[in-house]
Amino acid sequence: MIGSVGGALIGEFKVSHVSGRGFSPEEIAEMALEKIVYVGANSHPAIRDQAEAFKGQIREVLVRYMRQAVASHNTTLMNRFRDAGHPELIKLLED
Amino acid sequence: MPISVTTEMPTSFKVEILRALQDFTASTGNTFKLALLKATASGSGTFGAATTNYSNLSTDELANGNGYSTGGNTLTSVTPTSDGTTAVCDFNNTTWSGATFTTCGGLIYNSSTTGGTSGRACAVLSFGGDQSVSSGDFQIQFPSPAASTAIIRIA
Repeated sequence: MIGSVGGALIGEFKVSHVSGRGFSPEEIAEMALEKIVYVGANSHPAIRDQAEAFKGQIREVLVRYMRQAVASHNTTLMNRFRDAGHPELIKLLED
Repeated sequence: MPISVTTEMPTSFKVEILRALQDFTASTGNTFKLALLKATASGSGTFGAATTNYSNLSTDELANGNGYSTGGNTLTSVTPTSDGTTAVCDFNNTTWSGATFTTCGGLIYNSSTTGGTSGRACAVLSFGGDQSVSSGDFQIQFPSPAASTAIIRIA
């Protein structure tokens, strides 16, 4: 007997967009989490709970460090604005 | 007639895998891109399993400018691996920043020349209707590279 299940398949992707701004650290953290931790639909409830708890911890770490990265990049931009003779633009980053 | 797009794996792609014309190996493999279609009412093509090449998009591709460059974004491929008995492929998420456009779908294609042809289609993506962004970020998020979720998989 020859059995066959499956084939070449396309997975479900997501389209995300925001207007008038870029993605926030929280939104990007959520995107990253979906790549880092995948909980299968048929996972045992206990394993799923553990995975969700782990996901929550990772989410906090990602958001914290992403905020730091944004703040740090803003510092770099502030210095570039100052060096370029446009210190008034620094205020835009502080708001 | 407006653009008609359905999420499908092109039939030609299945053949090209068996003919070793699609190489998703990171860094040393082929270069893959994701091109976007115009808004549904702004075009007229039909895209799905019969789509074979990037050139099929023709005038239905999103216009250059406003955060979009003709040809689309280059994707960063992750070397295919296996999850159980399923072969899975993955790409890093891709973002169009500072974008202002409306799109109804896209095409992942091989921009490298293999077997004398470039632009071989890999996956047609429908966005389930028009998606608009104005002075913002537009991102396609690819699923986890697992047996039941990966963007391109052979089970």
